Amino acid sequence: MDELKTVGETIQFIVIRLGDEQYGIDIKYIDNILRMQNITRVPKVAPYLKGVINLRGEVLPVMSIRIKMGLSEDVVTKSSRIIVIKMEQQGMMGIIVDEVKEVVTLETEQIEKISYDSKDEKDNYISGIGKYEGGLISLLDLNLVVPENA
Amino acid sequence: MDVSQYLEIFLDETNEHLQNLNTQILSLEQEPDNMDTINEIFRAAHSLKGMAGTMGYKRMQNLTHDMENVFSEVRNGNITVKANMIDILFQCLDALDEYNTNIRESADEGTNDNEPLIKQLNDILNGGAGEEEAKEEAAPSKEEAAGAAQENTGGKWQEISLGDSEAAVLTEALHQGQKVYGMTVKVQESCILKAARAFLVFKAVEENGEIIYSTPSAQDIEDEKFDLEFSLIVVTSDPLADVLKAAKAVSEIEDVVGGVYDFDKDSASVKQKNETAKSEEVKEAPIKAEPVHVETVEKAPAKAEPAAPAEPAKQPPQPAAPANKNDRKPAQNKPIVNRTVRVDIEKLDTLMNLVSELIIAKNSLVSASASVEGSAGSEVNDQIEYLESVTTSLHESVMKVRMVPIESVVTKFPRMIRDLSKKLDKKMELYMSGEETELDRTVVDEIGDPLMHLLRNSADHGLESAELRKERGKPEVGSIFLDAYQDGNNVVIEVRDDGNGIDTEAVKNKAIERGVITPEQAEMMNEKEIVDLLFNAGFSTAKTVSDVSGRGVGLDVVKSKIEALSGEVEVKTKLGEGSTWIIRLPLTLAIIQALMVVIGEEKYAISLGSIQTLEDIPAEEVKLVQNKEVIHLRDIVIPLIRMSEILDIQSNKDPNENLTVVIVKKGDKLAGLVVDELIGQQEIVIKSMGKYINKCKIISGATILGDGEVALILDTNALI
Repeated sequence: MDELKTVGETIQFIVIRLGDEQYGIDIKYIDNILRMQNITRVPKVAPYLKGVINLRGEVLPVMSIRIKMGLSEDVVTKSSRIIVIKMEQQGMMGIIVDEVKEVVTLETEQIEKISYDSKDEKDNYISGIGKYEGGLISLLDLNLVVPENA
Repeated sequence: MDVSQYLEIFLDETNEHLQNLNTQILSLEQEPDNMDTINEIFRAAHSLKGMAGTMGYKRMQNLTHDMENVFSEVRNGNITVKANMIDILFQCLDALDEYNTNIRESADEGTNDNEPLIKQLNDILNGGAGEEEAKEEAAPSKEEAAGAAQENTGGKWQEISLGDSEAAVLTEALHQGQKVYGMTVKVQESCILKAARAFLVFKAVEENGEIIYSTPSAQDIEDEKFDLEFSLIVVTSDPLADVLKAAKAVSEIEDVVGGVYDFDKDSASVKQKNETAKSEEVKEAPIKAEPVHVETVEKAPAKAEPAAPAEPAKQPPQPAAPANKNDRKPAQNKPIVNRTVRVDIEKLDTLMNLVSELIIAKNSLVSASASVEGSAGSEVNDQIEYLESVTTSLHESVMKVRMVPIESVVTKFPRMIRDLSKKLDKKMELYMSGEETELDRTVVDEIGDPLMHLLRNSADHGLESAELRKERGKPEVGSIFLDAYQDGNNVVIEVRDDGNGIDTEAVKNKAIERGVITPEQAEMMNEKEIVDLLFNAGFSTAKTVSDVSGRGVGLDVVKSKIEALSGEVEVKTKLGEGSTWIIRLPLTLAIIQALMVVIGEEKYAISLGSIQTLEDIPAEEVKLVQNKEVIHLRDIVIPLIRMSEILDIQSNKDPNENLTVVIVKKGDKLAGLVVDELIGQQEIVIKSMGKYINKCKIISGATILGDGEVALILDTNALI
């Protein structure tokens, strides 16, 4: 993944699918992408916290971004993945996605910031819209998805 | 040689001496006539002075010098110990501690001269017998008298034969009216930096004269190529006593013996020469062969000029060392120093992590081996069992390395209580036990503040004033106890006082007044819940705010600090009789023995340390008391906790089957955890789950099983 670096005025995103929609996650936060595995449930925590997994000998919390965004419960399929994100404040966290599609490079002109009118709950987690090959990608703001104090 | 490399040792040793002084002065306050204590104090002060001097900390040196003077007078019986003197001495210790802190932070002692203290010290001196000149000389004089009887304790210097060139130098020196002395210096066996000590001796001696010859050679001494002794030939115009004193002032030097060296004759006639020397130098004779015991510690070698070019000693050194006259010394409890290595705690952490990884790998092997069958299988099993015992011992050893006695934290408390006693004008006494109880280093480092808070709390809020105590028929002097002991996988530290106890009514009223609870809530609360209110942030019942406690911070800080260490704190109190604060800390933070259980489809670990017994209970023996399930086991009623309900799991068990109950204990409380199945005992490595999931109280952590799955660890303390 070394060659996938932000060059100049461009940002690279990993495009994921949740249901029918495509979302982009800034590649700088991504540590790893894992196949779906058995998640150990942790009792008495928020419903979107699905539990913990073993990541190279460390215990990693995993959350369901679908539940967090108010979508329906995850349905685990062959294409389901756990994306391990690493953030400065929050540390490591796994998020479950329906599919990982591709890596795209967007120039800043291709990204449209959006203002919050929050008609839709899931819009609260989006920092902008990326236009790519005729399609639209909602760009996730991980600081909103994974708040410092969950 | 730069002294900065010895700075750390200097700081550590200064701390030790200060601690020692604190303790000794405290006991001096109790028994002002105890000569052992006074001698010990004198020695410690003297060492401090020497250390500070060598390191170039003049202010520190001045202060200790004056303290030493005072002790010297006390020792001579010219001053008697008085209360105000003890106070001043304690202030001096505080000042020294301040220097020490400054040095630690900036390698500079700061600019505080502490003149008022020095003046007070001098006042004590003047108010004494006014014989200031006695001072330092007093120290050796006593030893001289005793030493006189030991004149013939020879030193190896008598065996030195010199080459022509040195002889020529000596002849020249004698012509110039200088004197030639030989001396043998013996370093203490426990000394770690022998070469450094030797340099200090060289340096000290060279202030008085010139070292013509040394055996072993200066170079060998520098390389620490000597056993415990080395001998010098010195040319000087000073009296022998001065030279010897200078040498023995260096710490960790056990013996210095010396006399006039006659280089014309060979060693065979040394004995005779020695006699001659004695008669010639009558006034020096008593000191000549005086073995001097200098029980001081000091680290800071300075550059020593290489002495005259060394010629290998013609005669091999004899093993006959000067007699150790330990019997003459006052009884000392200085322990024999073990050989130690200072290790960065981070390195130990790394080691600990590696051991954890090893144990996880071992656990994987155990589960993988289950699939190996036949004769190969049993062989594999044998080897795995062996591996298991090795990893377990390895883990234990690493744990032990990290363990330190809580002594290092609690020794400062007697002094604190004494100060509080003066400040609060209450009479109190601190009794400590279990100082040798060991805890993980990281825990010990953190536990000091909470304990201090609790002790201050007991002293200020707990103990009544002397008058009130009298009225209540209690001894006038209040008692505070600090007891530490190990209890299973926990270490318990109790802070107990025989004071007033907690007035729950007062707490309740205060809580209502503060808006912490409503009057209706207060009605509903039992005594324990009310006492627990004390741990609320910003809660203080002290009617008057003192600078000891009652600032509204304290107990909540204590609680959060102890919880951060995975421990807990509880209070037991009886109004009028006193309170006990009980701190319970886990012995180890990383690897524990655990019982693995199955609940529903999930596996959980329960720390073996908190498990009392495992029981198989027929379903019909479960009784209901106040609508709660209990079992009656060996005359104890134990509440049952259905883990499947607590954990929101569908139990797979037929409700009519016998219950599998894990009886766990917390202090003297018991509870029975109902689980579906037991798997067995396993060594597990506790992993943090990150801050997202920490909200869950009943789970204390997670662990990785042999098959790579994650299992959660139940915190039984939170369940009871």
